[in-house]
This record gives sequence, C-alpha cells and structure tokens, in this order.
Amino acid sequence: MSLDNVDVFLRTVRDDLGLDLPDPSGADTALVDLPGWDSLNLLRLVALLEESGHRVPVHRLLEAQSLRDIHTLVKEYRR
Amino acid sequence: MTAPGSPTLGPPLGEPVALAAGGTSWDRVREDLATHGTALVYAWLEDLEPSLPSGDGLRELLGRDWTRFLDLTHADVRNRYIASRMLLKHAAGAVLASDPADLELAYGPTGRPYLRGCDQIDISLSHTEDLLLVGLTTCGLIGVDAERADREMYGGGLGRHICTPYESVLLSGMPEAERNGALVRLWTLKEAYSKAIGQGMQFRFTEFGFGPDGRPVRVQRPDGTAGTGDEWIFRTFPLDGGYVISAAVYDAGFGRLQDAHVTTMLDQDCVDAITEALDEDTGW
Repeated sequence: MSLDNVDVFLRTVRDDLGLDLPDPSGADTALVDLPGWDSLNLLRLVALLEESGHRVPVHRLLEAQSLRDIHTLVKEYRR
Repeated sequence: MTAPGSPTLGPPLGEPVALAAGGTSWDRVREDLATHGTALVYAWLEDLEPSLPSGDGLRELLGRDWTRFLDLTHADVRNRYIASRMLLKHAAGAVLASDPADLELAYGPTGRPYLRGCDQIDISLSHTEDLLLVGLTTCGLIGVDAERADREMYGGGLGRHICTPYESVLLSGMPEAERNGALVRLWTLKEAYSKAIGQGMQFRFTEFGFGPDGRPVRVQRPDGTAGTGDEWIFRTFPLDGGYVISAAVYDAGFGRLQDAHVTTMLDQDCVDAITEALDEDTGW
C-alpha cells in the first residue's frame, strides 16, 4: 500500500513512530497537540519517508502544522 | 565518545537544580546565576500537577500564552504546557524578584521564547516525557534540551539526518553498545545549540557537530574542525531516572551580573526623568 493513501500514511506514523493518534481526527490535529510529537520524531519520519521513496526536504516539513500537511508534502515529493 | 557527564574542561556550569518543596531550590538557582551566570532547574510533571493553577489563576499565569493554550485539546499536552510555563515563570520570578504572573513570555520570529522587557536574562525551555527543564542565563544566550538516555536513535537511517561526516566516523568507531548513548548526547547538544541561536531545525544538524565527551566541547564544522571559540559553553549532565540534559550558553562578555532584580534594571536616568515629570504634574 502506498503512502499516498492518507490512511496508510497515518497507520505508518502510528505503528512506526509509536504515536497515539486520535481517531478519526489524527490527520488534522495540530502537531503541537499530538502527545509524544517532537523534533526527533520529525526526523524519524523523514527517514521513514526516504525508505519509501519520498524525499521531502526537512525545511518544508518544518512548515507543516498537522499530519495532513505532511501527507500533502509526501504526495508532492514522491519519486 | 564516552557516556555523558564525564569531567569536561572549560568554564564551569552549575549542576542542574531539582525543584524541591519549600523554595530552597530558588536559593540554589540564584546562587548559580550569581556564580556561573547560568542556572539549570528541572522538575517532574507529576510533582507539579497537584499545584497547577486553573481558572483565573491559570489565565493570569499564561498571559498572552492563553490563546495558544486554548488551541490545545489533549489533557497531557495541556498539563505539560501549563507546568512548563509555571516552572519557567517561577524560576525567572525568583531571580528577577518579580511576581511570576507579571512576567510576559514572548516569542521571536523563529519561535524563540524570551521574557518581554527583561533582557538582563535569557531563557530556554525543554521537556521530554515527564521531565521539565528550564535554563536561565545572564551571560547572553542559552539553549537547553532534555532527552531519555536510552531513546532509540542509532539505526534506522536516522544517523545520517543528525550527524556530520566526522561524527558518523567517530560513532562507527565506537563499541556498538555505546553508540546510541553517544548519539543521544550529540542530539541534545545540537538541540540546545540550535535553540540558543534561535534556529531550531532550520539549521541542519548535519551542518554542525560536536566532538567526543571528556574534553572541551566546541561546535565543529562537518569535517570536525573548530567552528566556535571560547564564547560558547556546552555541558551535558545525566539525571536520575535515565535522562540526559544539555545546555549551550553564549557568553557575550559582559561579566557576571550580581543583581538581576527587575527594579535594579531600571535605568536610573529614566527613573529620575519620570519622577521629575510626575513631580511637576502633581506639584509634589
């Protein structure tokens, strides 16, 4: 399944980063309001995305306010 | 690279002060600030939670942060937000001899926090899990960071997003069991430095680095050559409970400030001019 699908993306974030995402509003929750979200998790996500062929520049990810914003970038930067 | 907290050379920085009941911690904080120009104070969320304000008291404590707070919905995130501001304002209030509620936390263009109207002191905040950490300095700039010592960082391709080429070589030359702890140390130093300079992760962590523990710590270029001089002080401390904290302090060279009280910082000429003007208006 491709990360282009938002549900797959959220499941990856939940499972691989170990974050407890609110359901069903996880995608739109502000990152600062996500328990456990921090800068290291952002970099872990960058590494995960690279493994799946999405090279999203870190400076673009830093502008994201929610996981949906990040997912929009994931689709934009797919190989 | 050795475990964080081994003896380092260079100007001293006081050991982090644990917040204790009875207010004695603030004496230590004031003492550290007078002696070293910098103080680090930490607390545990579970210890602060029983005394977190609510209602009008909370609104008074948060000041302009109130609207930010209202945007938070998760109870744990909200409590940590309140507790970190409470710790920061009480620590700053203790060294400035000010009511914590009178202190206004503001943010620069990059999100770097500062105390509005109190430029005799610089501040930095960090938290991880239940640990809350505040750094205060009268030297110039400060950044602090806290992290679990056993947080998994080495592996999974993360190192190439954190380390300079020089750091990667150093880490790969270490015994495997020591690599993760060494990377956690590097991470907290990088976070602390980037907070101090107000860049956060906009300054790529692969573009600057740090050398091994156990010798004077300096910012290094990606190839391991020196990037900063003696004006920067870096320290890493292990904390009970399995945490590591790092501090980065920029010494602007103004010397130690013995009295950081808010009233002392009033410009005497300005005070005289206002007093004179008031006298004229009221005929006192």
